[in-house]
Amino acid sequence: MNNIYMDGVIINFGFSSKEEKKKLLHAHPDKSIYMDLTCYNPTEFYQEFPNLKGIFSALFADESKRIEIHFKEENQVVLDHLVELGFKPIKTTFTSCGFIFPRTISQIINEAYYALEEGVATKEDINRAMKFGVNYPKGPFEWSEGKEEYVKTLLLELLALTNDERYKPNKALL
Amino acid sequence: MNINKVLIIGAGTMGSGIAWWFSSLGIQVHLQDESDEQLLKAKEYCTSQTLKWAAKNQLDQRITQDILNLTKFIKKNEWDKDYDLVIEAIIENLEIKKGLFRALDEFMDQKTIIASNTSSFPIALLGEDLTPERQTNFLGLHFFNPAPVMKLVEVISSVHTDKTLARDLYSWFEAKGKAPALCKDSPGFIVNRVARNFYGEPLRIAQTDDEQKFKEIDHILKEVGGFKMGPFELMDLIGVDVNYSVTCSVWNAYGQNPRFTPHKLQEDLVKEKRLGRKTKRGFYRYE
Repeated sequence: MNNIYMDGVIINFGFSSKEEKKKLLHAHPDKSIYMDLTCYNPTEFYQEFPNLKGIFSALFADESKRIEIHFKEENQVVLDHLVELGFKPIKTTFTSCGFIFPRTISQIINEAYYALEEGVATKEDINRAMKFGVNYPKGPFEWSEGKEEYVKTLLLELLALTNDERYKPNKALL
Repeated sequence: MNINKVLIIGAGTMGSGIAWWFSSLGIQVHLQDESDEQLLKAKEYCTSQTLKWAAKNQLDQRITQDILNLTKFIKKNEWDKDYDLVIEAIIENLEIKKGLFRALDEFMDQKTIIASNTSSFPIALLGEDLTPERQTNFLGLHFFNPAPVMKLVEVISSVHTDKTLARDLYSWFEAKGKAPALCKDSPGFIVNRVARNFYGEPLRIAQTDDEQKFKEIDHILKEVGGFKMGPFELMDLIGVDVNYSVTCSVWNAYGQNPRFTPHKLQEDLVKEKRLGRKTKRGFYRYE
């Protein structure tokens, strides 16, 4: 977890436990905090912490560095800083758990792991099928490479939130 | 592996596309359909494809000249016996398909490979009435629309399929510029299974029938995810009913596993005949 401290503002990046994220928000009630909440439920955080002024989801960013961002209180300095770091923030009004892209791609990745477990095809063939059959820019396993922990954490968060078995992570992700 | 003579059965969109792709390789193709109208449409399609690809210099000069001579548009009673490969691309009806495969098994030479382009039926079920010898060279070859453009061919082996044959076909398609994927005989194969969440999850994010929400989700998935089309515009293009039917089929085949549960919003649209572009109203309105 990395934090950038500016005048009255903290931008929090990276992956950490929910408790650590909350600890930071507790520790700085007088600061406006903008936080990477890719894997956790934004509604819960917004309700609990009035000092949380915006959220973004950068953990699944690829080389394009495009990320979703939601502001409760828009801050141009924060936006400029993200751009300086190479990110291309795209504003959203959604505050669903996992926002839009991380949530969708995590479920696609999870299903690919179930298919792999059942021996439907190899990782390479599953990647190839999704790229050349439905024009996905990457195969599910290419997307998940190095991000398995984020996929697992997000799916477990969705499972706890909804109690819907559809979010049960495949055992290869646990 | 040598594939020099192919029979494609069913001159609809998929059959015509598959037939044209084979003929563009210089392979002799017979395209069979019992409807004169469908055969005429297929002939027009093949001519326009040839002109289109030739204009882009994407066809061998010699093949451009020969391509229509290589394709013969036939009826069932004109089948030859000596095809190297037969691909069925008819209506998704189990009994009709099984009947066709029984007839092919009886008529064709033993060496002929018989394949189905089905997107929904288990290959073993389609081939269950075939002789044990034929079952070894019976498999699924699932092309994607438009067949001349989309590179994927799912090569689907049933428990009876000769694994060497599947691997040889994989290599053959790869050598001819396709991107094949070897796949076990299971519901939805690879793509129609793994892609379900590209639709199901955005439906759960949107939750309600709200065009602004669909627009924003489509926008984010294209901009952030790099997808060429968003899920709602894609469902409208494919047909909301078609997409819903595939979801239901996979869901039922997996014993109504919650990972594939169809969303009520999609079901409601189907009931309201909001089927997408074809009815001028789906998730979006088309005037």
